[in-house]
This record gives sequence, structure tokens and C-alpha cells, in this order.
Amino acid sequence: MKRQWLAIQAEFLKIRHSSIVWVSFIAFALAPLMGAIFILIAQHPEAMAQTGALAAKAEIMNFGSNWTSYLNILTQAIGVGGVLIFGFVSSWIFGREYSEGTAKDLLSLAVSRTKIINAKFIVYMIWCLTLAISNLLVGFLLGSILQLPPLEMGSLAPLLIYYLITTLLTIIIGTPIAFFAIWGKGYLPPLGFVALTLVLAQIIAAIGYGTYFPWSIPGLYSGAGGEYKELLNYLSYTILVGTGLVGYIATVRFWEKADQSN
Amino acid sequence: MNGGNRPSVIKTDGITKYFGTTTAAENISITVNEGEIYGFLGLNGAGKTTLIRILLGMIKAQSGRVHLLGAPLNKRFKRWNEIGYLVETPYAYPNLSVRENLEVYYKLRQLNQPQLVADIIQKLKLNKYEHTKAKVLSLGNQQRLGLAKALMHHPKLLILDEPINGLDPEGIVEVRELLKELAANGTTIFLSSHILGEISKIATRIGIVHNGQLIKELTTKELDDQLIRKLMVKTTDNFQAKNLLAKAGYNIYLNERQEIEISDTKAIHFPEMISKMLVEAGYPPKQVFLFTEDLEHYFLRTIRSNPS
Repeated sequence: MKRQWLAIQAEFLKIRHSSIVWVSFIAFALAPLMGAIFILIAQHPEAMAQTGALAAKAEIMNFGSNWTSYLNILTQAIGVGGVLIFGFVSSWIFGREYSEGTAKDLLSLAVSRTKIINAKFIVYMIWCLTLAISNLLVGFLLGSILQLPPLEMGSLAPLLIYYLITTLLTIIIGTPIAFFAIWGKGYLPPLGFVALTLVLAQIIAAIGYGTYFPWSIPGLYSGAGGEYKELLNYLSYTILVGTGLVGYIATVRFWEKADQSN
Repeated sequence: MNGGNRPSVIKTDGITKYFGTTTAAENISITVNEGEIYGFLGLNGAGKTTLIRILLGMIKAQSGRVHLLGAPLNKRFKRWNEIGYLVETPYAYPNLSVRENLEVYYKLRQLNQPQLVADIIQKLKLNKYEHTKAKVLSLGNQQRLGLAKALMHHPKLLILDEPINGLDPEGIVEVRELLKELAANGTTIFLSSHILGEISKIATRIGIVHNGQLIKELTTKELDDQLIRKLMVKTTDNFQAKNLLAKAGYNIYLNERQEIEISDTKAIHFPEMISKMLVEAGYPPKQVFLFTEDLEHYFLRTIRSNPS
């Protein structure tokens, strides 16, 4: 356990001073900011009518000036945007060792290769969870500034649980991206894979099979697909968790077994 | 060739590795004993780095066995903290300082003597750059940082691929002295380099690899015996001097620069006898020079005589 803990510490040390950390937080914070704009539109429909497309979008989403609408949009940002941002995080954590030429220095050490990969997955999870919490805090701050009507604890708790579950589902589906980073030896192959999954998630969800496509499931669960959320079933979650497990196992096995000649 | 009673620290037995149809290593068997500095020579693509990666468990050989520090190299091998290594270009985390980079490996190596980081910074003369980000280091200082990572934990075995690449002349001398000091204290060093002259200055034994095959392995003493030596003589009349020396029974060759080359052991050991003979015959020498083949020549001669 001590060895694993030291490997985690080393991973955290590696991300110190990396501008990519702050870039990810700033990019993800666009979601609560966008939500705040929708609240402003809902609060001042006449004044904000000039915003055109945004006002139309807020109307389509039946967006109200309240915490429920705001937390729902934050949840949808995790389920849809999180696939992109978390995928970006995963690509960077696992692909950087090849892009920066340091992978070979991780292979013949006292700490096992599996522990190094586990440390990376743990940092990935903590980073993504922190992104989600950060967005929530930014959302609470902006919501307070915009004086949203107070929400009772009984109503808040289920919204936060949805938010947390959506975050976990999105984190789980990021593990295959780690495999593509190690297999492809860099950032580009996993980022290409992320782009592909985003496109496929849209297409497959549009033709009605999103409930069985792992990268569509967090988005559907978040409510971004409206009533399609009701179609998610045990098989959907099994597919998602299975894909996450396969991604994890493939990453560990490839890192342990494959020739590392770069 | 053997190391007397010293235990073997690296032992490979019939290592063979193919990448597709390319032979990267073919039936390579070497033994490196404790305290030796083993120089591994070869052209680019000869198979040096492949063998180093096999020794470090980074790639797997199709056949053959490796023992490091007396233990078989397999997934149960646990003695990585007794090994330090530098493979090809040394890279570091660009946004971390020299110290932070070393702290990453301090943690990954599970060390518990915090002083080790400061000590190796001092030893590799990186003090001035301790808080400098790795991405702005010169090539030479990146190489020092790579060596610091390899040496920080006082390994018993050092495996270094081109360790003096990018170092300035002063750095080369420092690293050479450092490696000699480590070997004198019992560290075994396996290093590859294309700077052959450098290898000849520090290695106690040399292996030459060509097209994936180990074509020659010899001690520094054996190498010294195998280097071509000849006396290069120029006189006021080289043609007459050549005839004189030939009559005296010397093995003579007049080269394209009209220099007399004498390869007899007697002439090499007693060049003053040649000078005396030429002076007395009225052909005083303008040059008497003992040519010794350098490692580059020897290396090229060796691989050219092995067309494999």
C-alpha cells in the first residue's frame, strides 16, 4: 500500500506546474458560465431577447430561473462535455510519458508497472472528480450571485446524486482512452478516439441505439437526451461498466506485456 | 575473459530478438563481472539499444535468458533498485525543475533517505540548475540530469546507453572520472557508446556488435595486443633507405605518401636502432613515428572482416 501511495505522490508531483491542469478547469467552467447566461435570459426575457439563438435554446430547454434547471444543465455538461474533457485528461495523463519521452524511465523500477498505471488511473479519477466539484462550486457561486430562489435540502439531494452518478459514469468510460494513449504512444491517438466516440455517440443516440453505446450513456443519463433517459436499463449500465473494465484491464496488460521500444 | 572469482552481474545466454524480418539481436551471450566497465560498441542500428532494453526488461527476447545480479530476469525480478539506467536520449518532465524531476524518481524508487536528492545534485554539479525547469536545460545538463536519475540510489549495476552524448569536454572528463570511481568502488558498468575513443579510455572489456551479432569480445589488454602498430619513417632518401632496411631483414612497405612503414616487433620496440642504422648509412631520418591504430580503425577493420 505504501508503494502505491508513493507512486500516487509521484504522479501528483508530475502534474505540478502543468498549465494543462488550469486549462482543463477553465475550459470546463464554461459550462456553469453558460448556465448562468441561461438564468439571466430566464430572469430578463425581454432584455435578453436580443441574444437570439441563446434565448431560443433556453426556451427549448424549458430553462427556468431556479436551482433545478441550473443543476440539470451542469449535470448534462458532465454527461456530454465530460466525455470530451475527461477524455482529454486521460489522454494527457497516459500519453504524456510517450510524448515527453519519459515512458522508458517508468519500466524498470522498484514500484511495479501495474502500480504506476493504477496511480495514473487514481490521479485521473481525482482530477475528474475535482473538475466536477469545481463546476458545482462555480455553479453555486454564480447561482447565489444571480439570487436563485433557495432550494430545500430534500430537493437538492437527488439533483446532487444525479450529478455525482453522471460524473462517475463519465469517468468510467474514460479508461479505454488510457489504452489508446499507451498503445498509440502519445496524445494524438487517444484524442482521435475521443473525437470518434463523440461523433458516434451523437449518431448512434440519434438513430435510437444510444442506450447501448457506452459513450452515449452518460449523456442520456444526465438528461441531455430528454425522455431517452427512461430507456436506459441494466444492460446499458452493464455495457458501460464492462467497457470501463475492459479499458482498464487492456491498459494494464498492454503496459505490462508489450515491448516498449520507444 | 573471465573475471576470476568475481561474480557475474550481467549474464545473457543466446539472446535473440527480431523486429519483423529485421534481426536486432542474434544469439548474444555475454558475461559482465562485478566491478567491470563493459563497453558495448556498434554502428547505429547494430543492436546495442535492443540488448540494453532486453537487459532492462523493456522488450522481450524471442529466445535466450538474462540473469542480472545473479537472479533470472522475469516478472518476479525484484532487484530494480540495485540497477540504474539511462537509455538513449535522456528526457525529463519539462515543467518540473531538476530537483522535482529527481523527487519523482526518488518516490518511484521508494527511497527513504531524502539526502540522496541533494547529494546527487551536488555530485553531478547541477546545483546551479536545481530549481531550473528541465525544458530550459542545455543538452549537456539534460544528460547530467539523466545520469543523476540513474545514479541517485547508488546502484550496484549501471546500464548506460550513450552516457556522454551532448556533454562538453569538461563534462566528458567528469563523467569518465565518475564512472571510474564508481567501478573502483565495486559498481558494475555496462555502457554503449559510438564515441569509441571514450570507451577505450574507461572500459575494462569491450564487445563489438554488428548486424545484431556479437562479433568480438575482448579485454582492454587483448585489444591493446590486437591493435596494429608500425614505425613510420621518412628520410632524406626514402627509396635508398627502404632498400637498406629490407637488406637488414626488416619487413618494409613504402606507402602512397612515400613513408616507410616497418611492422617488425623489433623495430617497434627499438626504434633507436633504425635511426642509428639510417644515420650511419647517410640517410638521416626526418621522422620516426610509432603509429598505433586507434579504436575507430580497429572497430571498422573488425566489422569489415565480418560481412554478416
